[in-house]
Amino acid sequence: MTKEQRLKKRHAAEKRFRLYGLTSILVALVFVLILVNNIFSKGSSAFMKTVINVEVFFDPELIEIENGAPEENIRESDFYDITIETLLKAYPAKNLDEENELIDLFTTDAEIEIKKAFLENNNLIGKKINLEITASDDIDQLHKGNYPRNLPEDRRRISNFQLKIYDNLLKNNKINKNFNNYFFNNGDSRDPELAGIGGALVGSFYSIIICLLLAFPVAVLASIYLEEFAPKNKITDFIEININNLAAVPSIVYGLLALQILLATIQLPRSTPLVAGITLALMTLPRIIIPCRASLKAVPPSIREGALAVGASKFQSVFHHVVPLSLPGTLSGTIIGLAQALGETAPLILIGMVAFVVDIPSTPIDPSSSLPVQVYLWSESAERGFVEKTSATIMMLLSFLIVMNFIAVYLRQKFEKRWN
Amino acid sequence: MSDVKIKSNNLNVFYGDKQALFDVNLDLNEKEVTALIGPSGCGKSTFIRCINRMNDVIDICKVTGNIEIDGVEINDENLDVVSLRERVGMVFQKPNPFPKSIYDNISYGPKIHGKGETKSELDEIVERSLKKAALWEEVKDRLDEPGTGLSGGQQQRLCIARAISVNPEVILMDEPCSALDPIATAKIEELIDELKKTYTIVIVTHSMAQAVRVSQKTGFFHLGKLIEVGKTEKIFKNPDNKMTQDYITGRFG
Repeated sequence: MTKEQRLKKRHAAEKRFRLYGLTSILVALVFVLILVNNIFSKGSSAFMKTVINVEVFFDPELIEIENGAPEENIRESDFYDITIETLLKAYPAKNLDEENELIDLFTTDAEIEIKKAFLENNNLIGKKINLEITASDDIDQLHKGNYPRNLPEDRRRISNFQLKIYDNLLKNNKINKNFNNYFFNNGDSRDPELAGIGGALVGSFYSIIICLLLAFPVAVLASIYLEEFAPKNKITDFIEININNLAAVPSIVYGLLALQILLATIQLPRSTPLVAGITLALMTLPRIIIPCRASLKAVPPSIREGALAVGASKFQSVFHHVVPLSLPGTLSGTIIGLAQALGETAPLILIGMVAFVVDIPSTPIDPSSSLPVQVYLWSESAERGFVEKTSATIMMLLSFLIVMNFIAVYLRQKFEKRWN
Repeated sequence: MSDVKIKSNNLNVFYGDKQALFDVNLDLNEKEVTALIGPSGCGKSTFIRCINRMNDVIDICKVTGNIEIDGVEINDENLDVVSLRERVGMVFQKPNPFPKSIYDNISYGPKIHGKGETKSELDEIVERSLKKAALWEEVKDRLDEPGTGLSGGQQQRLCIARAISVNPEVILMDEPCSALDPIATAKIEELIDELKKTYTIVIVTHSMAQAVRVSQKTGFFHLGKLIEVGKTEKIFKNPDNKMTQDYITGRFG
């Protein structure tokens, strides 16, 4: 082989390698795009809800309270009759069956919405107002175009009569789409139009805060001790190997551990962010210790020697010099560990967070859900309305993860730039 | 002849199973510069790291024998290394300023030893140390800037100023000019000449010329043994040992 041929071959090999790399990146990108597109196209409609415009007449004969009544009395009083009257006025129904079908067009919480409107403006007795009542899940999906209306009637959840009402309402501009406040404010519900991630958001927030409070100090102190103070011998080697092993243990095993120790033995309350936070902290601990130790190791030994040589004690050299320098790596490692914990589902299922929880938890010891578990729960539900809710929850979860990762990158860059 | 400041007696150092120093007996005189020369890995650095007990940092390192400073044994487990290192400063091969401001680099030592109680006292120490290290004129207007932003030679003088700031009695220098260009080296050598009026200095160097220029006494190490020690003039002009002769004339090493 001549020299030129050899050179040509070397260049060709490099070109080939670049091509392989580029191809694999492109393939990965295509998959990510398909995934994101799928989630967005399914989930974005969940941020809007369908509402039906109706006229509410606060008939003094159908209600016991008067204008300006104390809020407490309003909350306790019965708006049922007014609600039924209101809904029946939306379309002329001929018999009881048709009336029931008509009422089924609206959410089961119509009475609460009417009561809320009254509470906001406590002098409506004897007056008429126009109000937008949330539509039922079936109408919501129909209006968003997710429901096939050309099926035969016996295979549809929406009857021909209901379709007629819907078309009529649409023609009269009585049907609109509004921002779906329920999706953010409500807890879980059996009715998709009322179900929200409020409970899951708060539950995830409490869990992550507890996880951070437990895992961060322990992990940082453990890393500092192991990296800077512990003698290097067989015992510390053994500990190091096991920390690496623990980071690779499947998360469901931590769930089993928590189930046995936290729930069965210590008897902490089930399904609570407290238990979730402790479980996630156990799982996250080794995942924070590893980057923490790496960033301590990355501080050049010359800095330690410089400090020792002017007479700093070991403790001073570590806490005045090494730890501050390792902080960017430590913080970004912690945030990435927490982001992993935020998306963790399996251990939470084992500690009972799959429970159906309607109320939004007010303390970390109230039963609660969390974002990934909510995704899991809704993905198993039969109702069509939960499909978009599932995707929308994934969107929320992903955006939290992206924000956390950005913060990690930002912290690392900001503090590392300071001296360069 | 000056007084002996540091005295080593049958000093042996082991790194695990490997012995790095063999029965070193070396006296270092007060307010004098002693140069230690010898090929790489011969134990010069190991020796000076015994004087401020820097070898303690290395887990597997074991030191036997005696080192006395002013007649007090320092190779003693009960000795407080923090106060030893306050008395014996060190400058390293590669400049290693803290990634902090120039001011903080100098004031750190006095602060941890409680030497500068007030801001004005600290200001004074910083100015005095930088002046002694011949760096004051170059940095007096930018004391808040990071020490790592200085040039290599300036960084090394900053490290010397940092060592001086705690007012030590001895300064150990481990090849302080090996990372510097000739001009920066010349400045450091001038500085060493000036510093020996106040401090006892031990310098490890690979440059014979530097040893001749800055030192009054020279010790030649080979394979962990102190081969020969004497007045610098004598070692370089008329050494007793054949190996020393070969080394300084460049026949090996």
